Amino acid sequence: MDGQKEKKVINRLQSMYPLRNKVNETYLKSIEAIKAGKPAVWAMLNFYYGDPILKAMDIEVVYPENYGALAAAVGVAQQYLDRAIAEGFPTHLCGYSLTTIGYTARMMKDLKWQIPPEAPVGGMPKPLFLLSSAAICDARYKWFQALGRYMDVPVWPLEAPIPGIKEFSIGGYYERMVELGVKHLRDFVAFVEKMVGRKMDWDKLNKMANLMIEINRVWHEINELRKVKPCPMHSRDFWSAMPAALFLAGDLEDSLKLYQNMYQEVKERVNSHMGAIPNEKYRLVFAELPPWHSLGFFDKLAERGWNFVMESFGYHPPIPLDLSKVSDPLERITRFSLQFLVGYYEDARKHNAIGGTSAYPYLKFAKEWRCDGALLHPLISCRSASTHLPYVSNMLMEKLRVPSLTIEGDIVDLRLFNPEDALAKAEPFEEILEHYRKVRRLEGFDW
Amino acid sequence: MPDKTKGLKKAREIYLNRSQRVRELKAAGKRIIGYPCVYVPLEMLTALDLIPYRTCGNIREPVTEADKALPSSFCPLMRTCLDCALKGKNDFLDGMATIHSSDPQEKTSRVWQSYTNYSYYHFIDMPITVRPEALEYFRNQLNDFRKTLEAFTGKKLTRDKLEAAIKAHNEQRTLVRKLYELTKPSLPFISGTEIVQVVKALESLPVTDANDLLTEVISEVQDRTDKPQKKPARLLIWSSTLDDADIMQVFEAKANVVMNESCGGIRAYRGMVKLTADPLEGLANYYLNEITCARTFRQATLGETKKDYIRDLQSRFGYFKGIIQDWKINGVIMLLVRYCDPFAFEMPSLKDYLDSIGVPSTYIEYDYSLGTLAPLRIRVEAFLETLS
Repeated sequence: MDGQKEKKVINRLQSMYPLRNKVNETYLKSIEAIKAGKPAVWAMLNFYYGDPILKAMDIEVVYPENYGALAAAVGVAQQYLDRAIAEGFPTHLCGYSLTTIGYTARMMKDLKWQIPPEAPVGGMPKPLFLLSSAAICDARYKWFQALGRYMDVPVWPLEAPIPGIKEFSIGGYYERMVELGVKHLRDFVAFVEKMVGRKMDWDKLNKMANLMIEINRVWHEINELRKVKPCPMHSRDFWSAMPAALFLAGDLEDSLKLYQNMYQEVKERVNSHMGAIPNEKYRLVFAELPPWHSLGFFDKLAERGWNFVMESFGYHPPIPLDLSKVSDPLERITRFSLQFLVGYYEDARKHNAIGGTSAYPYLKFAKEWRCDGALLHPLISCRSASTHLPYVSNMLMEKLRVPSLTIEGDIVDLRLFNPEDALAKAEPFEEILEHYRKVRRLEGFDW
Repeated sequence: MPDKTKGLKKAREIYLNRSQRVRELKAAGKRIIGYPCVYVPLEMLTALDLIPYRTCGNIREPVTEADKALPSSFCPLMRTCLDCALKGKNDFLDGMATIHSSDPQEKTSRVWQSYTNYSYYHFIDMPITVRPEALEYFRNQLNDFRKTLEAFTGKKLTRDKLEAAIKAHNEQRTLVRKLYELTKPSLPFISGTEIVQVVKALESLPVTDANDLLTEVISEVQDRTDKPQKKPARLLIWSSTLDDADIMQVFEAKANVVMNESCGGIRAYRGMVKLTADPLEGLANYYLNEITCARTFRQATLGETKKDYIRDLQSRFGYFKGIIQDWKINGVIMLLVRYCDPFAFEMPSLKDYLDSIGVPSTYIEYDYSLGTLAPLRIRVEAFLETLS
């Protein structure tokens, strides 16, 4: 293939590219904002809870988690990991956190607030404040606290209740979560107002909340279209398009149009029976985050006929919920954010899948998206995204006769992922996939 | 022949055979509720005549059964706790009360519930901040806990019963602090290893039995002639959990550990639950606000819009200064159980704080298994050499 560009097997959606570009635009806009004297904030992925407030207050937001993935993808993360470890942080901490800590130590200690020249997409400028979140793991609020060593920037930690699946059915539980959420957000608005020196524009917040909900509804519908055979959209397109909905990257009206365009393109593929790969032999669900540094790995699997049709619920939009009658935007935001997690609770309880709030959705996905198998990717430095995977593997096998392949790796540290070894496991796993297809048919499953 | 039915000997016997007493109580008709973390409000169990029993791990038991449920790169403490449960070591339990004190506790709770079949199981959610709305939410969580306990026992958790239980557990906190007073002299009355055994015994007994044991131990050691040997260094160990005598002996081979700031030491006993008009409010405030574990997000001022690192360190670690002065501590070991994120993120900042008050410190990581004792010993000896 000398002199020729190798044709990729995964047929990427054209509508994905402008959505993917939104991430880069966000970083560049944050740099411009700082230069123009506007505030920029570093935020943890907060599952639609704090973001609309920042949007309504015209604050540019960058997400160090996303930046960690980006730094890994372009190959500059390693020096930040090394720096964080030299600063005294243990090696087994979250790779994203170590990347941010190393980056911040370099920016604040070595370069006196100047963005490191090697930083991709313009880097992350010094923030006005840090918005952390208790959702998903401990790292996501302790890590911003740890940045206090390098910059005197206040931190607002967002609470994120996480009920037990059975406890959630205790009378009044959900409404108490809403009560906490609304009170907490009201205080957060007051904090942001103090930080930026102006008042909240509540009409704008209303609009931002509605756009966020609508964007995610369309995004949800796009992913529903992936249930058909062959699946018209590969996980790689999901991950590329995801930040605009999950992080609310860029202008929301523009994002809504782009997701609507994507819906049209995916729908056209459905109508014309066009799959994301030419020969869909196996349909797989992927858990959890991918090895950002080695995404070409999926092309190799696509050559073998592996189509990735679904991913972790943690990065998917909440199951749509009618919030049109909720007049207070803070309450609407709270209920929408809670839906991300508790939207699956009732089903999980019915199926007695109580082994992990992150686990049950895989059962739903494998069944409704007709998956032949699951590729589980435990992350050495992201234990919260890995802990439930043994349970997921057992649950899928016991309840659906769907086998799993486990391949260890990491989101940032490429030394922890061996793509050759992973690919060597593909062929024997295909035999297992074939076997369990027969088993499912014998046991009355319809795929 | 030493009397094994009293004081330190009794504590050691219970430490070595933790479930003996609760098995007797179970045979006598009592119901036993396991809890994996000191954040579970034991007062509520005691008030309903349930016996709390801390479900610990075992550094001598290789993890095998928990492999099917938890990945290997996960909190080794929770792995061994679950492993022991799955191997039937806690087969006397009638139920479990778990809490979202950390991510591994929350995640393990789900798995634990899924792989076991107790008559009672309750998970308490816990906020990360001490903001008023978070305290209110946590108080409501305790109220939900009350409801499920009442349904399980068929009894009402009355205010009188709860207040009596709070008083009994406060008495225990007072007694543990008295015990730690006995490590203040230059020749301590009691060793860190012995205290680990006593604290673990407390976690294996009903509160009244435990308070009697503590009273005996305090009385015994105050008069003892066989005090622990005086060593060149007086150490404070800061950790999530240090609850094993063999691990503690690694530190005490060449030093006196006069303060164990972990949930195997003084952490759960340093404060007192206030008797408030609504007892659940007092409990919520104590468990969320008073226990000094890295899991809680603390700030110099709630909702602060300006940050000052020195003030921040003071608000998070300021309590160490008094302890270090009063106990004449000349070295601190930050002992990290591998994969414990809340403590791991805290480490460089705590070191900054300890440096600022002139106390030497070191960071040592281990994985809560017998195999790590030898390398642990080498690291401890190296640190002690720098102190001398």
